[in-house]
Amino acid sequence: MTFREINSKMVEATVLPGQRLFSQRGAMLAYKGDVSFTPNVQGGQGGLMSMLGRRVAGEATPLMTVEGSGTVFFGHGGHHVQVITLSGDTLHVEADRLLAFEGTLRQGTMFMGSQGGVMGLVRGQVTGQGLFTTTLQGQGAVAVMAHGGVIEIPVTPQRPVHVDPQAYVAHHGDIRNKLSTALGWRDMVGRGSGEAFQLELSGNGTVYVQASEEKL
Amino acid sequence: MSTYGTPGAGPVVYDPVTLPADDNVNSYTFCVELKSGQWFLQKGKMIAYYGAIEFNGVGHGRLDRLVRTSFHSPLHASDWVVAEGSGKMLLADRAFDVNSYDLDDGNLTIRAGNLLAFQPSLAMKQSIVPGFLTLIGTGKFVAASNGPVVFMEPPIRVDPQALVGWADCPSPCHHYDHGYMTGVLGGLRAMTGFGGVSGEEHQFEFVGAGTVLLQSTEALMAEAATGAVPSEPGVPGGGGTAPVGHGPQSSGVPRLPGQLGDLQRRFGL
Repeated sequence: MTFREINSKMVEATVLPGQRLFSQRGAMLAYKGDVSFTPNVQGGQGGLMSMLGRRVAGEATPLMTVEGSGTVFFGHGGHHVQVITLSGDTLHVEADRLLAFEGTLRQGTMFMGSQGGVMGLVRGQVTGQGLFTTTLQGQGAVAVMAHGGVIEIPVTPQRPVHVDPQAYVAHHGDIRNKLSTALGWRDMVGRGSGEAFQLELSGNGTVYVQASEEKL
Repeated sequence: MSTYGTPGAGPVVYDPVTLPADDNVNSYTFCVELKSGQWFLQKGKMIAYYGAIEFNGVGHGRLDRLVRTSFHSPLHASDWVVAEGSGKMLLADRAFDVNSYDLDDGNLTIRAGNLLAFQPSLAMKQSIVPGFLTLIGTGKFVAASNGPVVFMEPPIRVDPQALVGWADCPSPCHHYDHGYMTGVLGGLRAMTGFGGVSGEEHQFEFVGAGTVLLQSTEALMAEAATGAVPSEPGVPGGGGTAPVGHGPQSSGVPRLPGQLGDLQRRFGL
């Protein structure tokens, strides 16, 4: 395990020679040993094209490369931290929620419209995720930030899960998500329940939900 | 969380007898028991109390002796009060994690904004590191932190914002890391500013034996005034005018930053 949760708001990462970590800039709390922090112009992995892609998609978050040998402690802004281990599948997460992730993971950008068409775009607007989201794929661990604690809800084909778009953090596995609306005349006259939009996640995988409706 | 008891049992209701004595009620509240004793506390951190407790500003004539023995930061006396009497007093600070620490003939330096209260058996002094206070002696104090406090052993380098304090005197110093600013690419980066900075160029370094206290996030608590230090030469941050140049060889010519050495000095003038 590269990441070890020290408490709810802090993770310890072991850096070994030859292994790289990416982390959000300024998220290092302390370190032991010989570790260097290099700002990453490209905002992550891949070549120039990936960098341009991220810039265009608005998923370019300031990252830095962490290399060397030693132990690094990460935490940021008083947010809760959740470590997610991936074994070959893809994690969908908003770029600014990424605290740190292993260099073995492949980073990509996904167009929200490719899942659910027009409704996907609306979903992007409602959740505040924008039209694009970041994907991480491969073998490795990710430390994700959330406001308030994170709960992990399994999604099975028989049991789709409905999540408040503002409380949605990330998901991995083979999941389709769509925005379901429950708009009625009450919403039109301003007497809605405040829960008109929900994310419906179905398929097979896990969704992470934060205990707060506050965005990062 | 034990705070909420067993599910369905409802919240735990405390009364003066069941409130813990000098212990945490939950991670955000600390209960101090006073038995005709005294505690120093920062203004506004008391949220409730039972019993007969009097709160007096530091600097009242009657408390002069107490202040003389355990309060050595006269210029920020206005931020502190003395609680006196018998009863139980609850301390909290904006839902930050609160913890108590016991010092046994030791010393601990802590960020001024994080210290909530301390027993008068401890002496509080201003640290020579600006913004920090040092507690010396034996006794208990209560400190808040944004997220739980993590204890680390030196050698360690710490982000300035994540540092809560340190105990038993490792020597803190500044560490600058500009490794990536070297080389061709680094030079380009330094010249153009393109590529940005990692935000981790500047750290506090601790070496030696002791303990370093870290808060788990970089969000700072409000800075509490530590008071101005006397303006004297040799006092860090004191604003005393340091002599320009190098001792007796200094002439009236001011040195430019980045200059290798004064011409006068090179020629031995």
